[in-house]
Amino acid sequence: MNHPDTQFQEEMRTLLASLASPGVVNAARGMSEMVGQALSVSEPHVRLVPFHDIPELLGGPESEAVGIYLRIEGHISGQMMMIVPHNKALELVDLMMGLPIGSTQSINSMERSALAELGNITGTFFLNAISDNTGFSSRPSPPAVMVDMVGAILDIILATMDELFDSVLMIQATFLRDGREAEADFWIIPDRKTLNSVSNEA
Amino acid sequence: MSEYINVGLGEIKISRHLQDVLVAYGLGSCLGIGMYDPATHTAGMLHAVLPARPNGREELNPRYVDTGILALIHSLVQMGAKRENLIVRMAGGANMLTAPGFSPTLNIGTRNVEAAYSIFSGLKLNISSQEVGGTIGRTVRFYVNGGKMTIRTVGNQEREI
Repeated sequence: MNHPDTQFQEEMRTLLASLASPGVVNAARGMSEMVGQALSVSEPHVRLVPFHDIPELLGGPESEAVGIYLRIEGHISGQMMMIVPHNKALELVDLMMGLPIGSTQSINSMERSALAELGNITGTFFLNAISDNTGFSSRPSPPAVMVDMVGAILDIILATMDELFDSVLMIQATFLRDGREAEADFWIIPDRKTLNSVSNEA
Repeated sequence: MSEYINVGLGEIKISRHLQDVLVAYGLGSCLGIGMYDPATHTAGMLHAVLPARPNGREELNPRYVDTGILALIHSLVQMGAKRENLIVRMAGGANMLTAPGFSPTLNIGTRNVEAAYSIFSGLKLNISSQEVGGTIGRTVRFYVNGGKMTIRTVGNQEREI
């Protein structure tokens, strides 16, 4: 990640995006099954995000959102975070429960379970596609659902690292409904040991 | 008119301007530590992310609780504050991941708070007020005028600690 050769970095990003692409497509398929609506997904972007900018992503650190988080362990390891604006999370719960949009007004334990299951399915579908394409097998941890300020949710990404580097590599994609309306941001943050092993094989 | 100064991740901000308010927005497991010298009206705030500096990193690194506290004191003293005058306030250190299946080593909020207690005890500095732990995010404000600290959580008003 701190490699001096920018061309190498560019190649690395292209490689990671192509590795992640079937994963996010399959993740969108899993999510579509859960919510009973055909969701599409943007091409994954691979970004090096400066450490300081992380809480500023997604509308600023004080805006309210729902984060669905899990760890990935196995041949590849890292973190998965789905960030959903609060009102969109309520809609996703309605869709999963088969309720008219607008029925769910707050996120309590049943709604949390539904969103956790959504994260579980999305993460599992992502990892299954990666495994089919690369042979790397990994499994997701149970998901955690956080309903809070964006800054507080995103603290988790840094808090699980042993050491803070100047920037964090993120693979980002957006789930869309009707091809335009963003439902959720989907992020994969590979651990450094996984990045190192990918770059060694590149 | 208050002037809000953003104290970002792994940063320290110092001010002697009475209208300034140092703010760390949306702290989860991170820790906001404010120190104030009433004699010189010098205030500073640290926004630390992880408990302990890894070996080999610089000694006054504000990204970590242990070295960040030392760096905050150092910066305040350089601005003319007296170490023995310092009033210390602290907020944050929540454990955001409360689902089963996550290892307790991920309770980084608790580890941040413990790191701070340990450093303050070693330095023989008392904490005048604090609100730490729990499972919710906080926005922390530290007022240069009087050294008051407030917190705000989702859906609630700002209140002093």
